Amino acid sequence: MSTRVTLAVVSFVVLIVHGIVFYDQFFNRWEKHQTAYFEQARSLAKTDAERRALDERSPRIEQIIVTQFGGSHVDRCTTCHIASDDPRFQGHAEPLRTHPYSAALGDTQRNGRWERRHKFTDFGCTICHDGQGRGLETFDAHGEDVFWPSPMLGYVTQVNWHAEYKPKLTGKEYMQAACAQCHTEENFAGTALVQRGRQLFFEKACYGCHRIEGLSNGTLGADLSDVGRKYKVNYLWEHTVNPRAFQPTSFMPKFDLTDDEIKALTVFLKSRRGINFAETSLGQYRARLQQTKLEETAKPQTTAAPSPGRGEQLVAERSCTACHRLGDKDGHIAPDLSYEGLIRDEDWMMGHFKEPKSKIPDSIMPVFGLPEADFHSISAYLKTRSMPPSFKTGEEIYKGLCARCHGEKGDGKGVTYLYLDPAPRDLTKEAFMNSKPENRFLQSLKSGVPGTSMPPWERVLTDDQRRAVLTYVFQTFVKEPRGQLKEHKVPEQNPVASNADSIHRGEGIFLQRCTGCHGRKADGKGPNSLDISPRPRNLRNSFFINNVADRRLLDSILYGVQGTAMPSWIDYGLTQNDVGDLINFIRSMNSQTGSPQSEKSPALTSQVSPLR
Amino acid sequence: MKTPVKPAIEEGGDAMTRRRALSWLSGFGLFGSLIITVFSNLIFIKPRATYGQPNRFSIGRPDDFPSGARVSLDERRVCIVRDGDKIAAISTTCTHLGCIVSVAETGFSCPCHGSHYDQDGNVTGGPAPRALPWFQVSLAPNGEIEVDKDSEIEAGNYLRV
Amino acid sequence: MSNHTTTRPWKSLIELPENIWRSVFRNPLPSSDLGRASTSFTNFFLHLHPVKIHRNSLRAAFTLGLGLISFFLFMILVVTGILLMFYYVPSTTQAYDRMLDLRGTVAFGIFLRNMHRWAAHGMVAAVFLHMCRVFLTGSYKPPREFNWVLGVLLLLLTLFLSFTGYLLPWDQLAFWAITVGTSIASYAPLVGSQVKFLLLGDSTVGQEALLRFYVLHVAVLPAVLSLLVAIHFWRIRKDGGLSRPAEEDALPVEAPATQVEVVQGPAVVMATSAAAAAAVKPVLQKRQYGIQGLVRGPFTKVGNVPDRSVFAWPNLFMAELVVFLITVAGVLLVSLFFNAPLEEPVNVMHPPNPAKAPWYFLGLQEQVSYSAFWGGVGIPTIEVVLLLLVPYIDRKIAGVGKWFARERLLANFLFLTFVITNIILIIIGTFFRGPNWEFVSPW
Repeated sequence: MSTRVTLAVVSFVVLIVHGIVFYDQFFNRWEKHQTAYFEQARSLAKTDAERRALDERSPRIEQIIVTQFGGSHVDRCTTCHIASDDPRFQGHAEPLRTHPYSAALGDTQRNGRWERRHKFTDFGCTICHDGQGRGLETFDAHGEDVFWPSPMLGYVTQVNWHAEYKPKLTGKEYMQAACAQCHTEENFAGTALVQRGRQLFFEKACYGCHRIEGLSNGTLGADLSDVGRKYKVNYLWEHTVNPRAFQPTSFMPKFDLTDDEIKALTVFLKSRRGINFAETSLGQYRARLQQTKLEETAKPQTTAAPSPGRGEQLVAERSCTACHRLGDKDGHIAPDLSYEGLIRDEDWMMGHFKEPKSKIPDSIMPVFGLPEADFHSISAYLKTRSMPPSFKTGEEIYKGLCARCHGEKGDGKGVTYLYLDPAPRDLTKEAFMNSKPENRFLQSLKSGVPGTSMPPWERVLTDDQRRAVLTYVFQTFVKEPRGQLKEHKVPEQNPVASNADSIHRGEGIFLQRCTGCHGRKADGKGPNSLDISPRPRNLRNSFFINNVADRRLLDSILYGVQGTAMPSWIDYGLTQNDVGDLINFIRSMNSQTGSPQSEKSPALTSQVSPLR
Repeated sequence: MKTPVKPAIEEGGDAMTRRRALSWLSGFGLFGSLIITVFSNLIFIKPRATYGQPNRFSIGRPDDFPSGARVSLDERRVCIVRDGDKIAAISTTCTHLGCIVSVAETGFSCPCHGSHYDQDGNVTGGPAPRALPWFQVSLAPNGEIEVDKDSEIEAGNYLRV
Repeated sequence: MSNHTTTRPWKSLIELPENIWRSVFRNPLPSSDLGRASTSFTNFFLHLHPVKIHRNSLRAAFTLGLGLISFFLFMILVVTGILLMFYYVPSTTQAYDRMLDLRGTVAFGIFLRNMHRWAAHGMVAAVFLHMCRVFLTGSYKPPREFNWVLGVLLLLLTLFLSFTGYLLPWDQLAFWAITVGTSIASYAPLVGSQVKFLLLGDSTVGQEALLRFYVLHVAVLPAVLSLLVAIHFWRIRKDGGLSRPAEEDALPVEAPATQVEVVQGPAVVMATSAAAAAAVKPVLQKRQYGIQGLVRGPFTKVGNVPDRSVFAWPNLFMAELVVFLITVAGVLLVSLFFNAPLEEPVNVMHPPNPAKAPWYFLGLQEQVSYSAFWGGVGIPTIEVVLLLLVPYIDRKIAGVGKWFARERLLANFLFLTFVITNIILIIIGTFFRGPNWEFVSPW
């Protein structure tokens, strides 16, 4: 009997649940909107025929199927916004309001009637407004669902939009991105933000790394041609504000941008959706024709004799100061160019322009494909700035020249430190600073550290000035007094002669002992390297390695480098001869004569390591 | 056939009626749920929005169709006829077996089985059983002509523009 | 019976409804034992059940109804699945749009999708719990070994069925879950990459994979699953109904007085001597059989046990109906309050971090994060093989039909360890793993 009671109760419950489900699912809000529209339209109707026609209509899903943008695009917005094309509803409340007519949108008046430039039947709604055309509930249709990639007006409806950016971008401003996705022509009326963003794209040197079809050809960064289709506006915004927010390993610098600039860039990027009308195959063809014509006409100009004036112009045009510092302009990312004319010679500069990595192997500076004459102009311009600074005290010199990389506190964390590889030396590390002879620091100051961003200050600072700044560093940052230097008994020259056998032995030792930090390619990017500060040396940085004497290498390997993670290998059983083999191996990778190892990684070339 | 009934069941009318009542209740619940389920699923299967072009569409302004025009919109399967200030929309789907009729000087003719219609869509020959239907044409508030293929009207009912 | 001779058409007409009814339902609502038996026999759906079943099988606390719940969820899945097929298109360009349409435009579309989704998750859970019930009550012991094996296969099929369905919405969740899931499969030695290629029909998840998963999901796997379920059910009867403890108050075998008939397959063993009866006794304890024999006529009793069986009609059928209704109500309510997830459209270039497999594979993914081969292939294979072999390893017939029987302490302990380990791994994988599969706290 109890089963029967249970059954009866459960059946009844199931019936009720069915009823609730039916009630919940069967009725639609849009039906109410349509009924309201029919009623109001009936009261506005002028003729009986109109009224009769309205009486016959019953609520149903209205849809616009747009096929002209590739694929089939279904917009059912007019199901609720059923009066959007009915001029009599201009004063009504949403959703029953007429879409405004505006000459700015290209709408025209004919015989007292407005005619739309962008007919809804041809364009649909979501092409301009975004949102989800297939949805029939506000939540779905306006894209409030956090997973919908193109919410209406970019963000306004979505809750996951970063609250602090919300007041900074209005829906109207966002709409410019929608216009500009097709109207990519420059100076298109009403798209001021997009134009500003496009300008900034060049002003901030974004073009150097990023490619946008038809605009730029950078290859270091991501292709941004259809970035607006792939990412939501908040992602673009936050990524521009802080590139490492989403990708901790991104090497894109954090540029100095105001909120308005970020807004303009974001809107500009959002407008790049890869469906641009002006860039259809025909448009692209025309653009290419135009471009080749331009280049032809432009060529004679650029082949004009290089001049400092042209260089100055180029530095401004090409936005070098988006990253570099030059005079009073500073991008806070790349080295100071104010005294570059004194520091570097023309050859160095030209080589660096053509391929920055050929001078500083781990540089992140992109290759700018300018004509050679332009590079000559720029170097000529930099050469004209040959006035040495007038700093007097060590402190002034440090603050003026060194702090930008080594930091105000000398901790190696100046504004640019994130983007320099190898990173600036941490001058507060007493263990390191006091274990190296003073001469070495003076030498670095005088001639720079080849293969790194530490330039030779020889022609900028006098001997006394260099000494003064070194004294300042030791007094201010190191603090501990220098004691007697511990001299290790190390031969001046590598005791092992370099030959294939020695190199092979050295490679074996390297693979066994060194790869954890220095990496299997010896590029300083081993698995442990991220946890080490300062980072392990890139041993394939030929400029650096070739300028270091055997003695220093022997000393560093055998007795370690104090204040860094480099241990004293003599304690781990390496003999002087082992280290000699290692040095021969390291040198062989960096030899200009091109021994077979120099191009490939040691791990790939090793046949059988004797020590493995 | 009378079967021996167990005493437990025969015990009293009370137990019997209670059991019957419970059975009815269960039956009511089950049957009701079943009806709702079947009904819901039928509604589910009936598409509310189709994937083809909508049946109510606008074809542009009256000026787009000069007097005397007979424009066949093949994708929409409708022929717009304008005569002076009168406009109408005639179906171009053959009433015989659903081919698309083509516009001829004398009216419409079907390429499939040779049905012929006059200019108003009345059958003049061939196997077609009925005249081509006329669709409701109205002037939308935005000044464009709207054709509603869901509502057929009597032949000869023009819209005056 | 003069009517027979003078049948007039109008009389047939009047009797038509009743005749149709009788031709379909041979029995009126039964009011006698014979009627009850007959009702079970003559109804296609009911005759799958025995006419009489042991009282023990009706104890909700013993079975928890999990097997039935699994089956009913499967039925719900079949029905909702077929309905969803009316709107679904297995194409990379349309699948996601169809999901949006189901959500926005199709009447009851989102609801059916919710039902399908939640019932699928529920079925994975129910089948797994059913397996736990069967193990913890020792119900896989002879003669039910093979049915246990079938059950394990059904669990695997359920997982695979759910996995194939996971791809169909073609959103980010689906795409990356399947990418991860099939990559786990590719760690299998020798055949791994081939299996992956066969599943995906390409080297990466794409249109071919979608089509293949669709075919597997709507045709191949349900067919195989239905077949195995049928065998599973058939074996329950053939193995003597649900397991139960040995009858404590079994009457002592009275030597010559009773004729014992034991149905053993087609053969009938007649034991007329005390010796024979004694020989039969263990068999009896092993197979409390003969429920079918009840209706065969005079042999209404098998074995010297008190009759603890009851008629399937209405006891069992009502119980089943109750379980069915509770299952339906549960699925409906869950579907009413929670919408099936639909994430961003597939973006092949932009994997979410972390990319996670469906929850029931997250234990596996967690293991894979420690060791790709052992976590993804080695340990699962060993686990499945062990599960399949359980009834052949553990042959001791003791503690059958009781939850957590004292005699099965070790087996239950080992099994619970296995279950709890897996559940913990799944919980860790689901809630405690963040970007880069790093340990995060959900709070």
